[in-house]
Parts: sequence; C-alpha cells; structure tokens
Amino acid sequence: MDPLIYILDLVVFIGIFAIVALSLNLEYGFTGLGNFGKVAFFLIGAYTYALLIETGLSFVLCLIIAALLSGLIGSLISLPALRLREDYLAIVTLAFGEIIRIVVKAEHWIAHGVWGISVPPAIFWQGASFRMIIVTHIGLIFLCLLICFILVQLLTNSPYGRIIRAIREDEIAAATLGKNRLEYKAQVFMMGSAIAGLGGALFAQYIGYIEPYMFLPMLTFTVWIMVLLGGPANNWGVLLGATLVQLFDRGTKMVKDYLFVPVDPNNLQYILLGILIIFILLYRPGGLLKESQVKTKALEKAAQWKRHS
Amino acid sequence: MNWAQVLFNSCVTGSLYLISAVGLTLTYGLSRFPNFAHAEFMALGAYVGYWVTEQLGLGFPFTFIAAFLASGVLGFLSYKGIFQPLAKRGATIIHLMIASIALGFIVRHSIGEIWSWAPLFFRVAWSSFDVGMLRVTDIWLWLILAAVATGVIMHFLLVKTKIGKAIRATSSNPELALASGININRVTLTTWFTGAALAGIAGLFRAAGTRLSPLLGWDILLPTFAVTILGGIGSFYGAIAAAFIIGLIENVGVVILVNLGLSTEYRMAIAFGILILTLLIRPQGLTRMFRGT
Repeated sequence: MDPLIYILDLVVFIGIFAIVALSLNLEYGFTGLGNFGKVAFFLIGAYTYALLIETGLSFVLCLIIAALLSGLIGSLISLPALRLREDYLAIVTLAFGEIIRIVVKAEHWIAHGVWGISVPPAIFWQGASFRMIIVTHIGLIFLCLLICFILVQLLTNSPYGRIIRAIREDEIAAATLGKNRLEYKAQVFMMGSAIAGLGGALFAQYIGYIEPYMFLPMLTFTVWIMVLLGGPANNWGVLLGATLVQLFDRGTKMVKDYLFVPVDPNNLQYILLGILIIFILLYRPGGLLKESQVKTKALEKAAQWKRHS
Repeated sequence: MNWAQVLFNSCVTGSLYLISAVGLTLTYGLSRFPNFAHAEFMALGAYVGYWVTEQLGLGFPFTFIAAFLASGVLGFLSYKGIFQPLAKRGATIIHLMIASIALGFIVRHSIGEIWSWAPLFFRVAWSSFDVGMLRVTDIWLWLILAAVATGVIMHFLLVKTKIGKAIRATSSNPELALASGININRVTLTTWFTGAALAGIAGLFRAAGTRLSPLLGWDILLPTFAVTILGGIGSFYGAIAAAFIIGLIENVGVVILVNLGLSTEYRMAIAFGILILTLLIRPQGLTRMFRGT
C-alpha cells in the first residue's frame, strides 16, 4: 500500500474520532454524564447519512440531518435515566447501543442487515486521483472538527459552561442556585449525541460501506480511553488523546502486518488498552492535560482583593 | 401453542438469570457500582469448566468446582487489585464502571487468546426425554436444581450466618457496620468471591446449554442487569422474583415475536424494555430489603 495513503487514512480517522471524543468530553468531561453508548449515536449518524444520500439529497444536508436525528434520539433516550443516579444512565446507554445494533441487524428492510449498505461517494470528480480524494476528505472532516471544537470550546467557556461544570461538581448546589439540572443535562446529552452523529455520518461518508459489526461496544470504549487519557474537561487534551489512541491502534496493526509475534496482535491491543486505562485511572485520573481554570472578571477581582489584603 | 413448555422454559431461563444476578446484585449493593466485568466472570467459569472436562478429562462435578473457584478467585483478585485501590483513591462511580469495562476487555481477550474466538462445544451429550407434553433436557433439570440450591444456600447464608448478617449490615449502612466492629474489608472480599463464583456457575450452565464463546457472558449481561434493577439493587429476594418474572416475560415475548413475524434476536430488546419501564415507574425496584434509605 502507498505509504502516503496510509498516513492520510490515519489522519482521517484521527479527525473523525476527535469529533466523537469531543462530544464525549462535553458530556462526561464538563457535565459528568457517563454515556456508555456513544456507539449508538455514531451508528445512527452513519446509517441516517447512508440512507439519505441514496435519495439524492446534497451531502451537506445529509450530514446536518444525521446530526439532528442523533441529537433527537439522544435526548429521548436520556430522559428516563437522567433524573436517576449516574449508574442507571450508564446501563441504559450501554444497553441502547446493543439494541440499536440488533435492530439494524434484524430489520433487513432498513439497510440489508448484516450484508451492510454501500454509501455512494459524495466527494468525486472527473480525473481525481485517490490521493486527491482523501485530501479532500481530510479537508471536510477537519472543517467539521474545527466547527465542533470552536463550538464546544466557546460553549464550555461561557456562563453555560460554568453552569454545567457546577452541575458536575455539585448537583444539589447548582439546583439551589436555581439551575434546572435536568434541563441542562438533557441539552448537553442532545448536543453530545448530535456531534457523535456527525462523526458517524462522516465515517460512513469516508468508508463508503457500513455494516452492523462496525459498531461494537469497543468503539465506545476507545472513545472513553481518548477522553480519559487526554484529560477530561480539556478540549486540547481530548484532541491529543484521540491522536495517541489512533496512533497506538495503527501501530499494533503495523505489527500485525510486518512483524511476527506469538500473540494475536488484535487480542494484545485490547488487553494493553484495558491495562492502560486502569493505570490511568489509578495513577493519573486527571489525564495528560489538566482542566484549565475558569477565567472570569469576578475571579480576577477576587484575586486582586486577595493580593491587596 | 404448548404453554406448558413455555412455562417450563421460563423456569429454565429464570434459573439461569437467578444464578447470574445474585452475584451482581450483592456486589452492586455493597460496592455501589455496576460491575460490567461480571460478564467475563461468567465466561471465565465456562471456559475453565470446559478445560477441566474436555481437555483434562475429569468428570462433570469437577467442572463445577473448577468454574466456581476460578471465577471466584478472579472476582476476589479484581476487587483487591483494581476496585479497592481505586475506591481508596477516591475514584468516582464512573471511574469504577470504566475500570470494570476495561477489566472485562482484558479477561475477554485473554480468553480469546487462550481458547480462540471460534465457538466451542461441550462434547457431553445431554439426554432429553418427554414428560407429558414437555420436552426436557437433563441439563435444564440440573440448572433448575442449581438455582434452587443457590436460593436456599444463599438464604441461610444471609439470614443465619455471621458473615451473611455482616454482608447485609454493610450493604445497608457501611459506617454503622464499621462502628459495630464488622470487618468491612473481609465482608466485601467474601461477597466479591461468592458473587463471581456464582457467575462462573451461571456461565458454565449457559455454555453447556448453548456453546462457548468469549462473548458468552456479554450476551446475557443485559438481562442480568434488568433482573438486578427490577429486583432492587442489593436485594437478594428481589433478584429471585425478578429473575423468574423476566424469564417468563422473555419466553412469552419470544412466542409473540414469532407470531408477529419478527426476529427472535429482539429477545434482548425485551429485557431492555423492562429495564426502561422499571426506571420510569419504579426505579427502586421490587423491594428494598437490605437498604435503609
């Protein structure tokens, strides 16, 4: 395989997973919501895109609708669990990820079940080389990533961001200040699911073929590792985490192709990721990059008073 | 429709869920987080059982002892080595859940590495016979017997013995239990050993009835969680009732699915539906036997 294409492909995947990891960061890092079914919204985005693009809609519109539909379903699913303890949300979302895959697998009329569905390419023009097309894909995906990043960054550094951080730190304190925690959580969950859906749509668009077994719980877990490794509640950290985990993933695949090891690299990869995550949780629960301090005028003034007194 | 058969099958399913859920509900109630690696405790029991009968050639009773011990030791070690240190460092419930998923991946892929991902089968041929309209396989009878034994033994353990009373006390109020001189550490470790060991037995039965696969526990983790939550987290008697309720609903549900012309793969969705309904209507579950507030 052309080594340049190999690298470009890696860049594409870093972009897609950075988008999904950002969405989890908004939910878990900033709001403290444990969404263990990220893959479900990734799947909804991917399948919505695949089914819509066949009807001949413009692909930008398909991407937007895929994101909106994921967001809508996300808010519906979160409602029964959000007002309860966080472990219930984890169980419900994890189970939902399994159910949605079963539905897509069992209902052949949706997308041919296990046979999968091919996605007509949206980025194609006369005389385009394979490299050119991948570079265009990278442009599109990183544009989406940039939009999501700016959105999440602005949102989390605004008064809204301070409220959701307050809900994460102490729900009851936030509630006594008159913040409707359920409403904020549902909004965050909806936005997170929409961004994950966008990631799924971009994934389907790039891969060109999707089937239910691409959406296993492992995907959710990979995104969690990206967030926990990079640093929850730090958007730059999450980008770093997504890059490192993708590099690790490619690294073990290279080992499979070029080196002989007595252990199946596929198994080894997951065992190592599992050990890595337990070590992060034990010895560096804040991740590589720490959460940045909230900066407001009031805090600056408070610091000044402190200096003067 | 042979309703006697549906009822009997419900009993079989309920028995399996009972054995798998008792361990989960006890550890969940005591350590206050859902252990997703419970699925791999089941899978390990099944594979160790397979190793003992098929690869070492020992008799089937040894299989049970091996599965019980192997999963129990894994449960003990995972609490001692991972969850307890995490809890001591002040890990949140989400951290504990993520750690349990990570542990699950480590164990599952280790099983895949040792015994391969291809499905394996027990070579023991189960004899099946007809009782009136019922078609019965003897492994099912053993399963029901094991579930009854689990229920009875656990009941006496929890009600009559010192350690059982200590488990209930710690589950309902850890501070008070500690103040009363209960060794919480020992109680928790015992519970993790017993819970995981029962999961191993459940996995063995599941494998003997169907087949072995590293995903074996994962396949019944969702109904096990549904049982735990419907029964009320930490509630042993609630779990018994919930296991048979969900067993019944699932089997009747499958009949309905077939009549509607839908895929029987939706069996999992039935448990999911019950889970969502429980959370909406009665999040505390059927009973709150052991938990005060």
